[in-house]
Amino acid sequence: MMYKMDSLSVIVNGISMGAIYGLIALGLTLIFGIMKIINFAHGALLMLSMMCSYWTWKYTGINPYLLIIMIAPVMFVIGYSTERFFIKPVLDAQKDVREPIAVLLLTAAFAIVLENLSLMLFGADYVMAKTTVTDATIAFGGVTLSAARFYALIIALVISGGFYLFLQYTELGRKLRSCGQDRNTASLMGIDVPKTFAIAFGIGTALLAVAAITLLPFYYVHPTVGNVFMTKAFIVVVLGGLGSVPGALLGGIIIGLIESIGAQYMTATLTTVIVYAIFLLILFIKPSGLFGSRLEW
Amino acid sequence: MIKIRSTKVIGLLLVMVMLLSLVAGCGGGDSKTTTVEEIKIGNIIPLSGSAAPLGKIGQEARDMAVEEINAAGGIKSMGGAQIKMLYADSKGDPATGVSEAERLITLEEVALLTGTYQSGVAMPSTEVAERYGIPFVVPVPSEDAITERGFKNVFRLAEKTSWRNRDQVTFIKEMAEKFNTPVKTVALIYENTAWGQGAVRAWEKYIPEAGLEIVLKEPYPSNSSDLTPVVLKAKNLNPDIIMMVSYVSDAALLTNTFAEHKVMPKAYIGTSGGFADPAYFELTGDNCEYYFDIATWEPDVNRPFSADVNKAFKEKYGYSMNAEAVKAYTAMYVIADALERAGSTDPEALRKALSETNITEGPSQMYASEVVFDETGQMVNAPLVISQMRKVDGKMERVSVWPEEEARPGMEIVWPYPGVGK
Repeated sequence: MMYKMDSLSVIVNGISMGAIYGLIALGLTLIFGIMKIINFAHGALLMLSMMCSYWTWKYTGINPYLLIIMIAPVMFVIGYSTERFFIKPVLDAQKDVREPIAVLLLTAAFAIVLENLSLMLFGADYVMAKTTVTDATIAFGGVTLSAARFYALIIALVISGGFYLFLQYTELGRKLRSCGQDRNTASLMGIDVPKTFAIAFGIGTALLAVAAITLLPFYYVHPTVGNVFMTKAFIVVVLGGLGSVPGALLGGIIIGLIESIGAQYMTATLTTVIVYAIFLLILFIKPSGLFGSRLEW
Repeated sequence: MIKIRSTKVIGLLLVMVMLLSLVAGCGGGDSKTTTVEEIKIGNIIPLSGSAAPLGKIGQEARDMAVEEINAAGGIKSMGGAQIKMLYADSKGDPATGVSEAERLITLEEVALLTGTYQSGVAMPSTEVAERYGIPFVVPVPSEDAITERGFKNVFRLAEKTSWRNRDQVTFIKEMAEKFNTPVKTVALIYENTAWGQGAVRAWEKYIPEAGLEIVLKEPYPSNSSDLTPVVLKAKNLNPDIIMMVSYVSDAALLTNTFAEHKVMPKAYIGTSGGFADPAYFELTGDNCEYYFDIATWEPDVNRPFSADVNKAFKEKYGYSMNAEAVKAYTAMYVIADALERAGSTDPEALRKALSETNITEGPSQMYASEVVFDETGQMVNAPLVISQMRKVDGKMERVSVWPEEEARPGMEIVWPYPGVGK
């Protein structure tokens, strides 16, 4: 009753924030689905994308959304090279190990290096890109939503949908999925698995760049900003199902809605607790997540 | 065998030399009792670690005060004795603070201790001083409990944390009357750690006492990815006042989101911390215009000596003082005043002199018109100033607006909140 007036704003905000969580989780779920690697550097790579976008914006002042065509390829190259020069040697060395934990540690170490490197290069100051869309709002039928969040929602939906189609209907998509299903058989069928892995890591990182740019107009940039979204991305991936593209988007929106609606009836601290409780519950009841399936890829 | 013997002999010789030099040192000291040339003051501040920049500006402020005092003839009642500062690095760590306090008292034999930046370091270090009966002047830490433990040797120049919350409420009442805008409801939005929770405990005491109603108590994690839900909740309740305790990233998210959803209370009031961070202006742009914040000192505050001392500091070090530097600077004058009246470095005489402090003139005016400690060693009227974020010559600035006699001349308070860009 009391909250009737703005309940629509609350829901729309939850969906748009959730779509961003989903977009961030997309790269994580892709890398896991195909390479079976839990990428602990995901948050740090998001931070790196935000840093690159911020400084490019700062010196050129161009529309932040145009940055996607500049930053996404750069991040693809960074992701591709990271896999090729750091992850692949470790993967090869542990080829016959049943639980290859070294890669996990490698990504964690990579995250620490990236964070400290950006602390060194950019300092510990909080910065924000005050772009033309930053303070703009969109109002329709009594609902106010910041323009930046609205665009983020649209971009997240388009990118997730497009990415899903890409995986399902293109030759490269099929190659990626086959490596995820069974890398040895894929290799026997003539697919260059190491190269496909590097491409997967590159695409995962490029997707992060898109997420970073949707955040840029309304979120601060700081060397530790990755941590804020990193844990959320893990929850989203587990909720939606490890390796599932639609699961990532839907999981993100569910988390966004819980946070947004939940906070109207209880304190924001408590909604955080509830999000983690759901995380544990899903792990307990359906460890494969809402859309998770062994044969998804 | 011979080898061992020779090292033993050398050791013995060394010990003898040390003993001799000690005796010589004592002899020298004895002859100087009538004219002490140097008064050693121990200073525990964070010179490394995350708070190192704050320790550095505190050290600079103290050095400047001591230079001034020494140049003006030192402590006259002690034959013009000069103050000598001994700095010890606490690293912002309580255990290091304790061991440094021990070292300064027992090895350096300082007359008095001062310093600490963090309340967490102040609590155990002052305990050491209390045990040895050495006076400890605490200029910066504001944790209420520091002067609530019945200690005799601890003198705190800073305000208690809860006083900020008390003065915020007083300010609201005064403004409501002055501008004839009735204020009834208050929303409290705060980060959910000890800092925010402490502020809420104080607000829960002072707000109902002032006849106001708390309609929302909203703790949030400061690393939240989105504070829109909190903002929408506050918007729906439409409170007269929104009060916040935030770090800089969340302060900025809140400010920007409030602007986005055009939330219109009569006033937004911050509690220092993130709102006083220089990055806050960068992160919020014009969205923070007309917000209020509370602090103990502002560069533009209208108090005697304030502008001159800050100018001298700026010339010497290249940047402006902050509230902590002002307290550190004032502390040295309070200590010098006590030394002057005690006429000796005897701890008991010094403690007595400190407890009888009553300074109403001199450079300490830049901090407070009257420096007096109560029986617990707490500074009685630690002053607080409320500033409003205002655009001056196209640039966002903190403008002192309250109390009125300390406000920047020519600036009128804007109340109630007119909205962004009005």
